[in-house]
Amino acid sequence: MTAQDSATGAAAGPAAQMPPRAGLAGWSARIARMSETWTLAILLVLVAFFSIAAPGKFFTTYDITQIAVNAAIYLVLGVGMTFVIITAGIDLSIGSILVLAAVASGEYNIHHGGAASGWGTVAVCVLIALAVGTAWGALQGALVATGKIPALIVTLGGLGAALGLAEIATGGQDPAGAASDHLQSSLGYGKLLGVPWLVVLAAAVTVVFGLVLAGTRFGNYTFAIGSNPAAARRAGIGVGRHLVKVYALMGLLAGLGSVMWLSSYGTTSIAGHSTDNLKVITAVVLGGTSLFGGRGSVLGTVIGVFIPAVLTTGLIVIGVQQYWQDVAVGAVLVAAVYIDQMRRQSRERG
Amino acid sequence: MRNIRGTTGTLLAAGAVLALAAAGCSSGSSSPGSSGPKTIRLITGVKSDPFYITMTCAAQTEAKAKGLTFTADGSAQWDVSVQKPLIDSVAAAKPDGLLISPVDTAALTPSLKQLQSSGTKIGLVDTSVTDPSVGITRISSDNEKGGHVAAQALAKLMGDKGSVIVISVKPGVSTTDARIKGFTDEMAGHPGIKVLPTLYDNDLPATAASQIQSTLAAHPDLGGVFAGNTNTGQGIATGLKQAHKQGLVKVAAFDAEPDEITALQAGTVQVLVAQDPAAIGTQGVDQLAAAFAGKPVTGQIGTTMVAITQQNMNDPAVSKYFYKGAC
Repeated sequence: MTAQDSATGAAAGPAAQMPPRAGLAGWSARIARMSETWTLAILLVLVAFFSIAAPGKFFTTYDITQIAVNAAIYLVLGVGMTFVIITAGIDLSIGSILVLAAVASGEYNIHHGGAASGWGTVAVCVLIALAVGTAWGALQGALVATGKIPALIVTLGGLGAALGLAEIATGGQDPAGAASDHLQSSLGYGKLLGVPWLVVLAAAVTVVFGLVLAGTRFGNYTFAIGSNPAAARRAGIGVGRHLVKVYALMGLLAGLGSVMWLSSYGTTSIAGHSTDNLKVITAVVLGGTSLFGGRGSVLGTVIGVFIPAVLTTGLIVIGVQQYWQDVAVGAVLVAAVYIDQMRRQSRERG
Repeated sequence: MRNIRGTTGTLLAAGAVLALAAAGCSSGSSSPGSSGPKTIRLITGVKSDPFYITMTCAAQTEAKAKGLTFTADGSAQWDVSVQKPLIDSVAAAKPDGLLISPVDTAALTPSLKQLQSSGTKIGLVDTSVTDPSVGITRISSDNEKGGHVAAQALAKLMGDKGSVIVISVKPGVSTTDARIKGFTDEMAGHPGIKVLPTLYDNDLPATAASQIQSTLAAHPDLGGVFAGNTNTGQGIATGLKQAHKQGLVKVAAFDAEPDEITALQAGTVQVLVAQDPAAIGTQGVDQLAAAFAGKPVTGQIGTTMVAITQQNMNDPAVSKYFYKGAC
């Protein structure tokens, strides 16, 4: 991912700034304390292991492209989830928002030409998907911010309600002709200089929001709210309004995810997104973003998305029984959170 | 069981249970043996599934022809906690006959036994339960035979050489396991074809797409895939398209739902193995009607399967097997 360099600065938010140290020793200590370093090391070890175990099969252009394409949608969702989790929130509803946005834009497409619809319809469909996602996200954000309801409950309700609405609209069946052929042949299967458009789009989203998180007031507010909402409020930050924006951003990216899904799968897959939330939260936490808020980075999420992707692909390529994949991802997740806890404790003591 | 829907959130299931329970309260009641036309209820596995819609339509037509009162309902999801309240509401109504596609082989047995002991004749359609004392008749597709049919058609398209893989939904499901067994048994008779270990995608198209692409990386000679269900088939189609292998790797899938027929026409799937849900529905009503009349009942009925390809799909003898989205 091209986002890595630019997003590195987001490793520690202003609320978790390390004390400045001089010299090479200070630098290496600081790098070792960054959680990305550990997860990146795990990722590199995995890639090295599979490359040696399956020479000429694993670390090939085909394979890298394949892993990146399959990770693209989860990466886009993961970027939004990073913001949400840094505010010490959570969003369980992303898979349902994705389905709802896909169904809304898909229904429009069906009634305006179906698979043969033109570019104008495609543009409207994209706008509908983004608008539905953003609106649903903003609604959940407003409930979290003002309604005194925990984010876990708001988005758990949203998970059921959004999927239910999508099922009401479609009768529970994926409608045919939900995606235009134009959309599929461009974003879905097209390439830019050999790189699939899906990957280009995901990389662009990652870079943009990595920079937003690392270097803008929006990012600073996000970290501040997650670290200490009371302090943030006293410092004059509109905490409620900012939370609405963060959840709306998550919804927007879920809407974008639905466009990517329709372009590559060509169908709404109503039943196929029930575990998106767990996959994405796993990736974000693997990437070192703290579930307690106040700390995290987009770069970490990039690594966190790729660890399970590399594991699954690699284990299939070397022919290991599939059940080990779940064991491996689970073990790495628990280890990552354990390291996160130890680091927090040592920092609080120090 | 022909299709396993993903397990959606617990809340969703709980919400559906409440809704269905509420719906159940308003249903009317009659008792077995009461005068007037005999009543038959049908509870399917997933209400919105074209397979079950086709089965329901056929059962309804047959019941009308036989002068029986017929009502049908189905679970919103493939879930015990969703189907059980439906059975309970039927038990309150005490129909003369119940046709059911149980979504679990054991969990629903007590409810069904209770219903049976209160006088309702039960016919198990499509899926069944382990306890042999439940039901007077069991009607389903011969899934192992279906696996053979899929393997024969796929081997022919592959020219009897190359690797082949099964991507299924979940392990430990009797019907899909029987299909895979039939498939691998048949492929054993084709020495030029190597069967790779089965993969499971948990009903997630994205997982299936990644799995098929990874398999291609490891086995460039991959010539055929046997897809567990519709979601899996969609994921495989996307994976192959992204790898530019569409049409080169032949795909066989079960069922003949409307969107699968579209996929067959478009060339993303090469073989569809259709079950005969209409025959299952018709036979179910026939067997219950025989039981009402005190005539002999067939305990075990296996319905046929047919392989649909682009070549034969316009033949009326084959196209009658297409599933319906509505009656």
